[in-house]
Amino acid sequence: MLAKRHVSIIGSGPSGFYTAYRLLRKSRIPLHVQIWEKLPVPFGLSRYGVAPDHPEVKNCEETFESCAKMYIGGKEKSFEFIGGVEVGKDVALNQLIRASDAVVFSYGCSGDKRLGIPGESQTKGVFTSREFVNWYNGYFDSALDDKFSSFPWEKVKRVGIIGNGNVALDIARVLLSNKIDSLWSGTDISTVALDSLRQCPVEEVKLIGRRDFLHSKFTNKELREMWQLEEYGAKGFIDARYFQPERYAGNDLDRAMKRRLEMCSEYLSPFDQRTKKNYKKVRPGNELNCTWELDYLKTPLKITPNGDGTIRSLTLCENVITPENQLIPQSQTVEYDMDLLITSLGYNGRPLNGFDSLEIGFDRDHIANRQGRVLQENGNTVIDKLYASGWIRHGPHGVIASTMSDAFDVADIVLEDLESQPVRKEPVPAGDLLALSRIPHTTWFDWERINEKEIHEGTLRGKNRSKLLTLQDVDALLKQAPTAT
Amino acid sequence: HGHLRKPAKGEELKISFILKDGTSKTYEVAEGDTILDIAQGHNLDMEGACGGSCACSTCHVIVDPDYYDALQEPEDDENDMLDLAYGLTETSRLGCQVKMSKDIDGIRVALPQMTRNVNNKDFS
Ligand SMILES: Cc1cc2nc3c(=O)[nH]c(=O)nc-3n(C[C@H](O)[C@H](O)[C@H](O)COP(=O)(O)OP(=O)(O)OC[C@H]3O[C@@H](n4cnc5c(N)ncnc54)[C@H](O)[C@@H]3O)c2cc1C
Ligand code: FES
Repeated sequence: MLAKRHVSIIGSGPSGFYTAYRLLRKSRIPLHVQIWEKLPVPFGLSRYGVAPDHPEVKNCEETFESCAKMYIGGKEKSFEFIGGVEVGKDVALNQLIRASDAVVFSYGCSGDKRLGIPGESQTKGVFTSREFVNWYNGYFDSALDDKFSSFPWEKVKRVGIIGNGNVALDIARVLLSNKIDSLWSGTDISTVALDSLRQCPVEEVKLIGRRDFLHSKFTNKELREMWQLEEYGAKGFIDARYFQPERYAGNDLDRAMKRRLEMCSEYLSPFDQRTKKNYKKVRPGNELNCTWELDYLKTPLKITPNGDGTIRSLTLCENVITPENQLIPQSQTVEYDMDLLITSLGYNGRPLNGFDSLEIGFDRDHIANRQGRVLQENGNTVIDKLYASGWIRHGPHGVIASTMSDAFDVADIVLEDLESQPVRKEPVPAGDLLALSRIPHTTWFDWERINEKEIHEGTLRGKNRSKLLTLQDVDALLKQAPTAT
Repeated sequence: HGHLRKPAKGEELKISFILKDGTSKTYEVAEGDTILDIAQGHNLDMEGACGGSCACSTCHVIVDPDYYDALQEPEDDENDMLDLAYGLTETSRLGCQVKMSKDIDGIRVALPQMTRNVNNKDFS
């Protein structure tokens, strides 16, 4: 048998797993694919980003599971999951590179973008979208973080969300509709978070954007879900100043935007005056009695706290947008009273420890690369053996479908390079191999036990899954004899 | 994946797929199977990342205009996902939402280039 080439993938989110899947399916040479994941459990933002009430989006995990099952212990092509190991911390990057024929960075974007305004970091009740999403999705340690458990949720009536992408809408939807049992009880949302959220007497959620309606970044599917909450009595608004469909007609609008204009115009009309039957299927209800609003052309300036350190208000300036799409801040300011503020400005990609000494280029929020081949700091030279896929390749945007096609493209490039290169001659230093094999980690089999336990616990509570919320819980479970579950 | 029913004798419907390399494959299938079921049952390159739940757009197909009008119109859900499909055309549909029926016996669908060109400016 030919010597197997060894590919190390860093990160087990959709990009890491789709890269592994494509490599294993398409390779014509013997291959061993290892995924290194910092958490003891796989799937990245499919597990810890995608909203709990969108379980169908997480179905990509089935593909990943069957890929793992099919190739674990394989002869010609094999797969291995190494969980609970953070590359750059628990294992040195250059050690991993020395032991591999190719290394693919698929570690996503796990930092926060921030506003950088006074009051942002010290005021209680100001959270980034990533913190908030991690909390309700039961991310280890965020789930029980004091920052959340000690917050007075029972006082939250007015909420501001900065940003108008899909993550902002996910957060708005959770805040507005959590009291509707049929929407949330059966999901894998953290019950700790759900219990807190259900104490909020939310009356109003404002989604605030710097630019205008035509620059909103959410997709129609998520926006439609918001409007459909009228069924439960959560009513949507857009001020007429910010929504002028007749005026936009002159612009060269794409299909999605045309459909978005129609959707908003219909839902903004009184139920009996709507023209299309699709918007007249379900009468608005009144169970929730709250509102949400798309607000535009404002930039946050400062956050003012109450005496007890919780947020009291947000001051913003108004903006004007020129026909050339330039944003001009005005001197007028507005002040919104609010009890909770979520800044949803996007996740942020960061370099790993070890990039400096390897002179790996980093471009704002992603790894510098050409077609997935990693570039040096000078921006021109390709670094041998190194690749990037997914959010860390192009920045923190794109749904799972686009992350998948990105991963496929990069995997094809990795194969092209591997198949055209001679098998490496110099052996991996024995010390490296020993060190790597000694790192404590979770295996795919461990994940299967965690998975089984979570689904079992979920079933007992009428949920599709009940996640383990701390690393201690994971350790305790894995210490039990495997037959105990 | 890929649990295709065998069509009853005399009730077979035909569907042809134009693959990415331009070749064509024709299958005899049963009424009610979706285009996604059929493609996966025959190991064609169609991902179906959300398992046919109309939540991902990776099962995008381009329908031969001669057959397009014979299909029932897409629902809003499907159109919302088509908005995001790469290489959208006037006769694009989601494979998981189109079921075989007598009205579309003989239908031809093309698999679009699923992957974007990594060079694409909107990406880097
Ligand atoms: C809140 C939110 C909601 C979303 N909802 C949807 C949706 O409804 N539908 C949809 O299609 N898309 C959705 N997306 C987008 C989707 O999640 C992304 O397209 C996709 O997850 C990107 O995959 P990735 O593998 O590049 O990154 P990630 O999913 O972030 O995976 C990166 C992985 O790398 C690991 N890692 C990080 N650092 C290291 C290290 N040093 N060593 C080892 N491992 C490391 C992380 O733990 C993680 O598991 C959503 C995104 C967010 C943030
Ligand atoms: S399989 Fe996901 S939309 Fe059809």
